[in-house]
Amino acid sequence: MSRSNIPIIIQREFNERVRKKSFIITTLLMPVLMIALMAAPALIMEYSRGERKTIAVIDESGLVAPQLESDEEIRFETTDLSTDEARKELTDRFGVLYIGSDILENPANVRLYANSSSSLSLESNITGQIEKILEAEKLKAYDIENLDRILSEVKTTVTLQTFRNDKSQEQDTQAQSSGVATALGYVLGFILYMFLLIYGSMVMQSVIEEKNNRVLEVMVSSVRPFDLMFGKILGVAAVAVVQILIWGVLIVAVGGFVLPHLMPAEAMAGVQAMQQGMPDAASMSGLDPDMLQAVAAMTDLGYILKIFGCLLLFVFGGYLLYSTMFAAVGSAVDNVQDASQLQMPITLPIILALLMMLAVIKDPNSSLAFWFSIIPFTSPVVMMARIPYDIPWWEILLSLAVLYASFIVMVWFAAKIYRVGIFMYGKKPTLKELFKWVRYKY
Amino acid sequence: MKELLTAEHVTKRYAAHTALDDVSLAIPEGSVYGLLGPNGAGKTTLIRIINRITAPDSGRVLFDGHEIAPEDVYRIGYLPEERGLYKKMKVGEQALFFARLKGLSRRDALARLKVWFEKFGIQSWWDKKVEELSKGMAQKVQFIVTVLHEPRLLIFDEPFSGFDPINANLLKEEILALRDKGATVIFSTHNMSSVEEICDHITLINKSHNILSGRVDDIRRRHGANLFEVAYRGDEEALRRAVEGRCEILEGAAEESVYRTLKLHVASDDEVRAVIAAVNEAVDLRSFREIIPSMNDIFIRAVNGQL
Repeated sequence: MSRSNIPIIIQREFNERVRKKSFIITTLLMPVLMIALMAAPALIMEYSRGERKTIAVIDESGLVAPQLESDEEIRFETTDLSTDEARKELTDRFGVLYIGSDILENPANVRLYANSSSSLSLESNITGQIEKILEAEKLKAYDIENLDRILSEVKTTVTLQTFRNDKSQEQDTQAQSSGVATALGYVLGFILYMFLLIYGSMVMQSVIEEKNNRVLEVMVSSVRPFDLMFGKILGVAAVAVVQILIWGVLIVAVGGFVLPHLMPAEAMAGVQAMQQGMPDAASMSGLDPDMLQAVAAMTDLGYILKIFGCLLLFVFGGYLLYSTMFAAVGSAVDNVQDASQLQMPITLPIILALLMMLAVIKDPNSSLAFWFSIIPFTSPVVMMARIPYDIPWWEILLSLAVLYASFIVMVWFAAKIYRVGIFMYGKKPTLKELFKWVRYKY
Repeated sequence: MKELLTAEHVTKRYAAHTALDDVSLAIPEGSVYGLLGPNGAGKTTLIRIINRITAPDSGRVLFDGHEIAPEDVYRIGYLPEERGLYKKMKVGEQALFFARLKGLSRRDALARLKVWFEKFGIQSWWDKKVEELSKGMAQKVQFIVTVLHEPRLLIFDEPFSGFDPINANLLKEEILALRDKGATVIFSTHNMSSVEEICDHITLINKSHNILSGRVDDIRRRHGANLFEVAYRGDEEALRRAVEGRCEILEGAAEESVYRTLKLHVASDDEVRAVIAAVNEAVDLRSFREIIPSMNDIFIRAVNGQL
């Protein structure tokens, strides 16, 4: 043991996990799944539209029917039949739309007799069209000259560009979008939360398994318990880092290289204008500014690299802190069921961190936000959620320093418990006993 | 004879009890040394101290003349009583992993594993997962992993548990072969018949103390208690009269068989010759032999404080 066995342990832990089919599948499928999740609403809309529906219109007012516009969802056709006749005879149509003669005064006098179940989008399409037609009719009644021109001039969309006064010259040209930052903050906070919980309990289960099938008894004759614990923690950490790196490469590749080619040229011009701090030029492209900012962020390599750098450091640090505690608990019990109670002091801060993140993201510069992103148990999740807001570097560095320092304290503490725990079989210890073990001498 | 391992006044206390109290022992190089004792006597603690899994509160352990150091773990192979392998790992990969932990290079380990797998006829297991093996099969792999790095000191804790008699015998022969090649073996067990078969020396630990140490033959003789069995043909009465006063007659038996037997207890060693002479005079003496107690008897008597 003069030569450390830690690398051999790390290698085993890493290989065991990375070679699993489940790892390969989740690593490759996760980004696809996330994109699919985001694209799902649009896709569902697209497919649920189905084939074009024909609706026969009986317009007793004579106002609406001529102005109804057929689109890819609905085709309108007028009919001279009475309502009852139409309902009986036009069964090959999707339905019959009846509009009362007093529609201007009584907008509720519209009925759709459908031959099969109708849908929300179809109904809102119909009501939307009729509302517009009626509004226009009513405005006409006021007899205003140049009404169309006035209306188009009155129509306004406000675009808010936020800039930071406390940034240096070059940076302050960069537009800030709270919308993008909030969304990104949520995602990053959740990623941290997931990693801490999933990979932390992975370490715990692995320790329990080793203890349970008595491999530990064999191992301890060639490996120091500390090396064993630490090697396992680092091995699992390597798996987490590799997973993030793969995701990172995928996102950078898509964001930095593929997306710019896929986007229409004028959209990219708008994005570039946004990146260069020329929102006026950007708004010329006629695209939704929030959308442009999201794309601007996604295709800004520097920004992505910063986020990923921080993500790696916080996932690693937070994971180290939590996994040492998970390892200590795992060493103390004989099976996973017994672990649940001892796990409480570990899972509570993680859940607290998640709740804090939800509170903090609304106001990322509050003192609440600051302190919870410095306190080590909540800092990885909370800080990661704040980072998209471009908070000062010193806060990030302080948070990291506190996080890694508390890991060093925690690993000493956990190693003591682990040392005693791995040889304890039978009775499930209480938390109090666990703390007593720290003082045991070996 | 040179000692490979000595423990000097080793004491280990836990919060509630003392696991080892001033235990000393010396293990000669090239011997098979039995470490005996009832459950909870402190054997496992002593083995763990030798393996540097835990440290003694006082006393020291010398390995090959120097105080035992971290590197010595590469010269020790330990098969614990409670043992296991990674269930999801393949047999070959796992054996390599353990070999590398013991300081072997990948290439060395592969070459040696090949030899052992062939010897045990288990080459076909290489790519099997451990969970597919039976308990006995897994034990074989475990044995190979323990001895692969050719350690100078081998420690086996109940090595035969979980083996059928055929494989237990195979294992016993391998252990003796390793000893013949120069390895020293510490053998911890409750199975006293296996102790008689393979141990040269023993130490009996009871209630954290070393209560009996020495060569197996010496111990059995020392605790022979001067019991003898006479096989003869002739008149029992004449025999009884002849030895009367010289020794105590315990029992006579076997009327039906060709030879009758009689058990005698001779008070002192000096009397033995005189008793033999008297018996020889009185009856047709066929055999006169000492009854050596089994290790099992000695174990039970020692633990119950009857020695």
